[in-house]
Order: sequence, then structure tokens, then C-alpha cells
Amino acid sequence: MRLPRFDYLGPDTLDEALDLLATHREEAKILAGGTDLLVRMKKGLLTPKFLISLKALNELSYIKKENDCIKIGARTSIADIIASDLIQKQARALSQACEKIGAVTIQHYRGTIGGNILQNNRCHHYNQSDFHRSGRQACHKDGGKICYARDASDRCNSTCQSDGATALMALGAKIVLASKGHERTVDLANFYTTDGIMPFAIESYELLKEIIVPAEGGSSAYQRLAYRSAIDYPIVCAGVLLKLSASQKNIIDDARIVVGAMSRSPLFLAREASSLKGKKLTDTEAFKKAADASMNSAAAFAVHNVGATLEYRCVMVSEMVFRALKSAAQDAKA
Amino acid sequence: MSDYTIIGKRMPRVDSRAKVMGKAKFTADLKLPGMLVGKIKRSPYAHARILNIDTSKALALPGVKAIVTGKDTEGVKWGVFAYTRDQQFIQTEKARYIGDEVAGVAAVDEETALKALDLINVTYEELPAVFDPMAAMASQTELIHEEFPNNINIHVNIDTGHVDENFEKSYYIREDTFVAPEESYFQAEPYAVLARFDHDDCLEVWCPNGGPHMKSKPLSNSFKIPLHKVKIRKIAIGGAFGGRSEICPADYICALLAKKTNCPVKIVFTREENTIATRQGHAMITTHKTGVDKEGRVLARETTCYMDGGAYSSTGPIATSVPFLSMEQAYRMGSVRYNGYRVYTNKPIRGMIRVHGRGFACGLDTQLDMIAEHLGIDPVEMRLRNSRQPGEYTSTKSYVDSCAMDETIHKAVEASGWKEKWGKLPPFHGIGIGTNSVQTGFPMGIRGGSQSFIKFNEDGEATVMSGVVDNGQGNDNMLVQIAAEELGLLPEDIHLVSADTETTSSDPGSYSQVSTFVGGHAVKIAAANCREKLFEVASKILKVDPGNLAAKNRMIFVKDNPEKCVPIKKVVRVSLLNFNSVNAEGGYWPKVDMKREWVSNPYGQMCEAFSFGTTIVEVKVDPDTGQVEVLQATAAQDVGYALNPLVLEGQFEGSVAMGGQGGMLTEYHEWKDGRCLNPTMLDYKLPLACDMPKIKNIIVESLDPKGPYGAKEAGMSIAMSAAQGYSAAVSNAIGVHMDSFPLTPDKILAAIKKKKSKAD
Ligand SMILES: Cc1cc2nc3c(=O)[nH]c(=O)nc-3n(C[C@H](O)[C@H](O)[C@H](O)COP(=O)(O)OP(=O)(O)OC[C@H]3O[C@@H](n4cnc5c(N)ncnc54)[C@H](O)[C@@H]3O)c2cc1C
Ligand code: SF4
Repeated sequence: MRLPRFDYLGPDTLDEALDLLATHREEAKILAGGTDLLVRMKKGLLTPKFLISLKALNELSYIKKENDCIKIGARTSIADIIASDLIQKQARALSQACEKIGAVTIQHYRGTIGGNILQNNRCHHYNQSDFHRSGRQACHKDGGKICYARDASDRCNSTCQSDGATALMALGAKIVLASKGHERTVDLANFYTTDGIMPFAIESYELLKEIIVPAEGGSSAYQRLAYRSAIDYPIVCAGVLLKLSASQKNIIDDARIVVGAMSRSPLFLAREASSLKGKKLTDTEAFKKAADASMNSAAAFAVHNVGATLEYRCVMVSEMVFRALKSAAQDAKA
Repeated sequence: MSDYTIIGKRMPRVDSRAKVMGKAKFTADLKLPGMLVGKIKRSPYAHARILNIDTSKALALPGVKAIVTGKDTEGVKWGVFAYTRDQQFIQTEKARYIGDEVAGVAAVDEETALKALDLINVTYEELPAVFDPMAAMASQTELIHEEFPNNINIHVNIDTGHVDENFEKSYYIREDTFVAPEESYFQAEPYAVLARFDHDDCLEVWCPNGGPHMKSKPLSNSFKIPLHKVKIRKIAIGGAFGGRSEICPADYICALLAKKTNCPVKIVFTREENTIATRQGHAMITTHKTGVDKEGRVLARETTCYMDGGAYSSTGPIATSVPFLSMEQAYRMGSVRYNGYRVYTNKPIRGMIRVHGRGFACGLDTQLDMIAEHLGIDPVEMRLRNSRQPGEYTSTKSYVDSCAMDETIHKAVEASGWKEKWGKLPPFHGIGIGTNSVQTGFPMGIRGGSQSFIKFNEDGEATVMSGVVDNGQGNDNMLVQIAAEELGLLPEDIHLVSADTETTSSDPGSYSQVSTFVGGHAVKIAAANCREKLFEVASKILKVDPGNLAAKNRMIFVKDNPEKCVPIKKVVRVSLLNFNSVNAEGGYWPKVDMKREWVSNPYGQMCEAFSFGTTIVEVKVDPDTGQVEVLQATAAQDVGYALNPLVLEGQFEGSVAMGGQGGMLTEYHEWKDGRCLNPTMLDYKLPLACDMPKIKNIIVESLDPKGPYGAKEAGMSIAMSAAQGYSAAVSNAIGVHMDSFPLTPDKILAAIKKKKSKAD
């Protein structure tokens, strides 16, 4: 398949990049590793006039600890995150998630964490060639008025299959969005829209600059399911974070549960997680209950559009959440 | 046994180095001066009448050199048999599946060609479509092919008689239905074809193929030019697996564009085109009713199979027969009645596939396990009681000469530790066995034989000409090994000219598993004839009887006095000085029953040899996710004789990957109204190297009396028995006999839950 024509812009500094974004807006797209963007362009899903490459912006590639936070530059490669001791120790879920992204070639040479968060939602009716999408009505995401994945749906239900975003949301991460002369920080959990056509609440002139991961203690874990051991997006995944009571080391003070690959965005399940407050680390019954509740909540969002049967994926939500909770508890004990 | 020098040795393949170093040229790599880019316009509708095709806008686009539609084809139709000619290379009246060819474009570059495709305006009238064989047979809407009532394309009926009376005599009878969806080949190399007409109006074609002569004949027919004017050239091929045996409409379209433009034209398929618009393996719904005696011996069997054939016939009659044939070769059955129906649907075309007609997918082995369980017999014992024995006739009257089926079972049982494991493994841990058989060839009329020519060069090296094609399995190496052995040369002394229809004689191609048995045999005979000529000359030099001579390591020597010798190079030069060039010819035609025909007369000698294989698989199932971890696969095959164990093991391992790990666990297509939702390698779950289990390879040799050095088909029996072994092992692990393939985690989990809720 051919890449459509575009103009390649190679800014040398972040300011230059923001200038270009401010000028070209909707007509431009940021090119980080390109492992998501170029694949979509080849399929004819988008045809930006300009690609603004982050290739020269080494200033966006770093992992550092500041106060109680880990700060990650958006252009940091997935391989660097996997290699980071800091992340492995203090944001384990992210490390575990990154290990599973694509395959070594994607992690190592190209894929970035910013691109991972901002990779577009997927759907097997949409991520197809021009030929495949011809001879039938266009769906919402393709500029039409119907959805092949859910009858009579008024919006797009494409699935966010980002491993990184699911883990980061579980860790309570915030993201820094920069535009010319302006910067804002948003909670990743509030970064998503309610329509898969454009899943992210980001402006065309904004750039994802940094990811801030709180590291105030607590144990996290990430679990995901796919058919193959590599080169396979998750069909269900879950990230959890357990924080222990300061006074009693074996009691859960706060918990976060996030389910991924089941909806338009990773699902932050606050209510389901709150049931774990005050529970012992060894209370697997409570884990099971929270996991089942997560499944019931997540099931309402999911549609059959990313492989495996819908029923199977729903059931597996419970299993992935349960396993992640057990693993985080295990880690906390140790 | 062997006192061979080169045969039977673990020799790296002659083509490996170029391939791993990226030097091998595949069709897509080729560039000719003035070459144009060809693209195919395909129907986006599953079933639609073509009302009008307007090419005017596309033709007006600068850079577009030619457009061809059905009007340019003079209505030529393709079909493997005279009675299955149902496919036009470019449709004129109807499109019958999403991907059907409606036009072709040649342009100066890809971008222009793609733009031109968009500018071709086809007006369709959509027709009701059917995507399931049962629905297709019952459909009251417009037939897919007018001449085929109920959309039934092929009906194969085999009846050995005495079936009903043997059911009466049976101690236990059961009937089960098994379902398996279609599958795709996913050859590493997407299909590509380059064609040009030369200054003599000869058509020259490069494309991956399963036999160059199988491509040249239909092209010669379609263009109404003599066979010698169609030159299919040799090119590196990235896999075929049965899917590249027939002519592809793209071959014809490419040649037609080349003719119209008087330029070379190359068409390279996208991965999606390779998946939907070449061939696929058939989807099947099979019911077996089997009656056994108290000991579990099969007395009577009635099998009915409905196969989803897709839009056209392809190799329909063969494909409708082989699932049955594989099973009748593997197992004795007192009497049998088979009804195979190949049904047209509006899905991609189904043809041959390496896992031979997908015999495993009919579930016969699973049912044997079910019967064994009912009778309290170990699955291994069950197979030994029914396994094919040497010297027997199959149900359809083929004599089976060499057969070491039992030895493959015994050796696999031993190596896998079956006896310590069967019935003794922890919960959700299972072991299973599959056995199968594949024929080495089938009657192919005048194209059933192969002929080879050998000539010596003055430097003592030899050129070997053979029609055999290598599409990945190592045939080139096989030919070189045989020639080197027979001529007393080293492999590097052999220059192979093969798979080129201009220079080589007709050959059956690499399908039907005869490359070694027929093509290799022909080279062996030619080389032996050539050696005779060398010995004639050498006997005069050495002054001994030619009968006392042998050849090895570039030398001809006296058998009982090896010091007395002469270099082959010298023998060749002496011969030339005596006004004689050294060359020879040899051919092999298998003695099969030429009256045997797939539909009209499915009885008689099918081929000269059959191979037999057993695979035992051990798995662990995760009861909470249904995911399967394969701990070990033990594969044993009776290959007759292993010409090169190294290559053979590669075939075994590929077979376990294709039939078992991929075919049985993860690979399947998803559809929406005839549209394939997972045509790419990302979404169709081929196993990766890191997914593969540990594989133990066991080569069993039975020395077939007709095969070259005793060799026969090798590798494919493993693909099928592996699929069966995987399925049996999972069934054993979860305590449920699975009847719907492939065994994806969702099905496994559902079966576990169902069993649990029954028990509660
Ligand atoms: C075969 C294959 C398998 C894969 N498997 C997985 C998987 O298992 N799990 C998974 O999560 N992903 C997977 N991916 C998706 C992708 O490779 C990864 O998500 C990768 O991390 C994306 O990073 P990138 O830098 O290549 O993104 P790009 O393709 O460069 O960018 C993705 C999107 O984000 C935008 N963007 C990138 N950086 C910025 C920025 N700083 N500011 C604003 N916008 C930005 C781009 O404009 C684009 O729209 C897979 C991809 C492939 C091809
Ligand atoms: S979920 Fe519906 S609207 Fe969204 S991409 Fe899939 S089919 Fe289109």
C-alpha cells in the first residue's frame, strides 16, 4: 500500500514545532515514531497535508524523577521506558504494559509513549483499506452516519487499545499539553471525549509534551490478553494501583482500577475500586468482587470490533482485573 | 544403510544463502526497461450484476497506458477440468464475491494506476448474496452460477457397498458433526506477476507458482498461441501451499495489459488481495456416522461433507475428495459411503491447501477418540486397531505398498512419554494423538510425468534441466543432491536449470506431493543414464568393464580397487575428443489408474505411494482464560527415505506451525456480509516463532519400492496429524471433545464452563 503525498516538516526545537502547529492546525499531524500514524495513512484513513516530525526534538525524550513524580518526555521511546529502573520500581504497571506493546522492533526503533497514548482508536470495520471500505455506507468515523459495530448507534464505538494509556491512567498520570505560548496539564482520566470519531480532548494546535506519573508509593500491576505472544494488540487489559494505609501495612487505603481495550477510552472504575478501601491485601474474595463489578461496568461499553468474541472479552475483564489486583497485592507484600 | 555420498545427508539447502542474505530475487523485485505498473479493479459487492463499465475518465488520465475489461477477453473461462470452467478472468456479467476482477489498468506508476482504478466507473445492480453453504443450498434467490441448481457445484459420491449391513452388525454406532471455517495461506510473499511479449510475440511471465507448466497451458489456451510461445520463467518463490497451483486471473490480466501496451507490466498484490483474491482453504461441515465392533474396529462409516467452495470451482472436484481420501488411506474401514458436496457461496474462491483438503477438519480423528472413550480403549490402541497396513487396498481400491503407520505411532508414543502421561496428567493438562496419511500424487493424465535432461560441460560440471519448481520446500536442493549423487559430483558442480517452460519438459508441479517421487525420480534416471555414458568412456581409459566402475567426489574408480581412477573432467574431455558430448535424458511416469476420475469414477490406483504420519501433542490449558500453552509436539512421519534430514525437519516444524499452532489454535477469518475483516498479518493470527512449542522430529523410513531411493511424500502428513493432535490434546485437557475448529480460547472456556455447570 502506498503512503499518500504530504510535506515533511522537521522543526529543530519545540518552539518551532509549536509555531508550525499553530500555522497549519488541522492540516498537520505530528509524526513521532509513525507506527500508528503511517499505518493509518497507508490505509487512506487520513491524508494530512503536513507531517511535523519530532525527530530532532531530543528535548522531549527523558525520564526523570522530580519531587514525588516521574516525568516522561512524550517522545521517549517505549524501549527506554522498559529499560528504566525507576519506572520498573515506582511505576511497575507502565513497565509491564510497555513490554507488551507490539514487538521489540516497534518498541525499540520507533514507538514513543506520546504516540502510544495518542494512537487512534481501532475497529475492524474501520482500520481497513480503501477497497474494503468501498461498496458499503461509510460509518461515523469514516464520515458517514452508521456504525457497523453497534446497531443504531449515534456515535462511534471504536476501541482504545493503548497499553500505555491504560497503565498510565491506573497510575493516576497527568499529561502536559503545549501550544504556542500556552501550556495546560490535564488528568489523563479526563482527556477523553465521548465519541470515538475523535477520542481525545486535544486541539489541533496542541502537542503532548510530557507525562507526569505520581510516585508517592503504592503497588501497581498490569495484565493483558491477546491471541499471540507478540505483535498483537490487547483484546482486554487492566491496570491497577493499590495504596496501603500508613498505619496498617496490610490494609488497602486506596485503589484504582482501569480497564482497557473495552471502550473508546480506558475505563477508570472508581466505584468498583472504592470497594477495596479498608480491605486486607490477602482478601482475594474482595478482589474477585471488585473484578466482577468491573466486568459488569465495562461490558456496557464494549462492542465487537477488535477480534475475539464480545462475550469472551467481557468475561476476561474480570479475570484480568482479578489477576492485576493479586499481582499488585503480591508486590505490595514483598 | 546408505553407502550414498550426498543423499541422506544433512546438507544446507542450495538456495538458503541467497535467501537469508536478501539476495534472492522475487517477482516483486524485478524491473524491466519500460515496465508499467498494473492494478486490478475488483468488485466491492459480494453478488452484483455488472450493468456498465465506463473507462473514459480513467483513460483520459495522463500516465494511463491501457485499461482492459471483460470485453477484451473474448469470453475465455478458466477451470481446472473441462467440466468446471466457470471463471472468467475478468467478469462481464456478474461479480460473485468481494474481490472479483472487473477491470485491469496499466500506468506509468503506482499512484497513477491507483487513481485510474478510482476513475473507472462501474454500475452494478446488487443481488442477494449467500455466505454459508447450507443457506446457499436452500436459497431461493438468484443462483450464483445459473447452470448449478441449489448452488451445488460438485457432488462426489463414493460407495464401497455393504454399508447398511455392516451398520447392522456394529456393536456401537455414533454420529457426530464437526464444523471448521475456511483458512488462508499467508504465504510470506504476496502474489505478484510480471509479463511481457518479446520481439517474437512470445509471452514471458514471472510469478510464484506451484508448477510452471500448469501456468503455461491455460495461458496458451487463453491467448490462442502455441505452448512454446509461453515462457514461464524461474523466480524465487515465497511459499505456495497449494494456493498458487492454478492460473490466477492476474496472470491473464497482466499479460493482456502487456499485449495491449507492448510494454512489460507488473502487478503486485497487496496483502489483502493475497488473502481474498487468490485462494483459501474450504470451510467444512462434516457428519460422520461410524459403526464399530466390540474391539473398536470400524465396520461401517457414512460421511457427509458440505464444503463452502466460494464463488468458483477452482480445484473443486479434487478438494471435495481429498478430505475423505486422506482418512481412507490412514484408516481401514470395512465399508464406507461418502457424499461430499462443494457448494458455491459469495465468498472468496477455495482451492487446494497444504493441509490437504483440510482432512483433519472433518473431525474423524476426534470421533475415533469419542468411540475409544466409550469402549474404554486407549486412543493409541484405537489407532493401532484401525491403522493402515502395508500390502492392503484402500476403500477406493488403491494398493498400498510401503506403509510404516504403526511404526510412526509406536515411535511417537515412546518419544512423547505417552504411556506415563495418558490419564495421569494433572487437571487441565492434556495429551492427544493424531494420525494421518497423504497420497504421493494423483492421476494427472498427460501431465503426470516428468522428464529431465543432463549435459556435461568441458570443465567436468553438469547442467541439469528439470520442470520441477521450488516454492519454498527445498525442491531445488533435492534435485541437486540427487544429480550430484548419481553423477559422482559435488553439489556445487551441478548447475540447475528448472521451472522454466522454455527449457524444461512438462512436469506435474509441486502440488500433489510428487516433486521428489516423479520429478526427482526423472533426474535420478537421467543422471544414471549419463553416468553410464561416462563409464563407457572411463572403462576404455581404465581398461575395466563399465560394470566394475563407480563414481564419487568427481572421480570414476574401479569398485574393488579405488586407487585405479580417473577424474570425471578428464573423462568428459576424452569423450569430446572422440567426437561425443556427454549428455542424457530420463523420465518417470507413475503407474496410476488413468481411468480414475474424481467425480465419475473415484476408484482405482490413485498413486504409487502413500505417506503416514503421527503427531502427539501435550498441552496445558488455562482454565480461567481458555488459553493454551503447548508444551511439546512429537512428530513422526513415514517418509519412505529421508533424502536430507535437515530439510525434512524444517518441513515437519513448518507443518506443526501451520496445521497445529496456527491452524488449530489461533487462525480464523472474521466476516461481515462477505467482507473479510482480518485480511492482514496483524489481524489473522499466524503463530510467531516465539509462540512455537518444542518439537521432537522423528523420521521413519519404510523404503518405498517405487520411490527414488525409497522416498515418498514428506511433511504434509505432519501438518494434518498435528492439527488432530492439538485438538485431541486440548480435548483431553478439558475433558470435552471439541467439535468446532479452530480451538480458540473463547470456545475452550465455554466448553469448560458448560462441563462444570453440568457437573454441578
Ligand atoms: C504491528 C503493530 C503492533 C502494535 N501493537 C501495539 C500494542 O500491542 N499495544 C499498543 O498500545 N500499541 C500497539 N501498536 C501501536 C503503536 O505502535 C504504539 O502505540 C506506539 O507506541 C505509537 O507510537 P508512535 O511514536 O509510533 O506514534 P505515531 O504513529 O507517531 O503517532 C500516533 C498518533 O499520535 C500523534 N502524536 C504522536 N506524538 C505526539 C505528540 N507528542 N503530541 C501530539 N500528538 C502526537 C500522532 O500525530 C498520531 O496521530 C502497534 C502498532 C503496530 C504497527
Ligand atoms: S465503532 Fe462503528 S463508527 Fe466506529 S469505526 Fe467501528 S463501525 Fe465505524
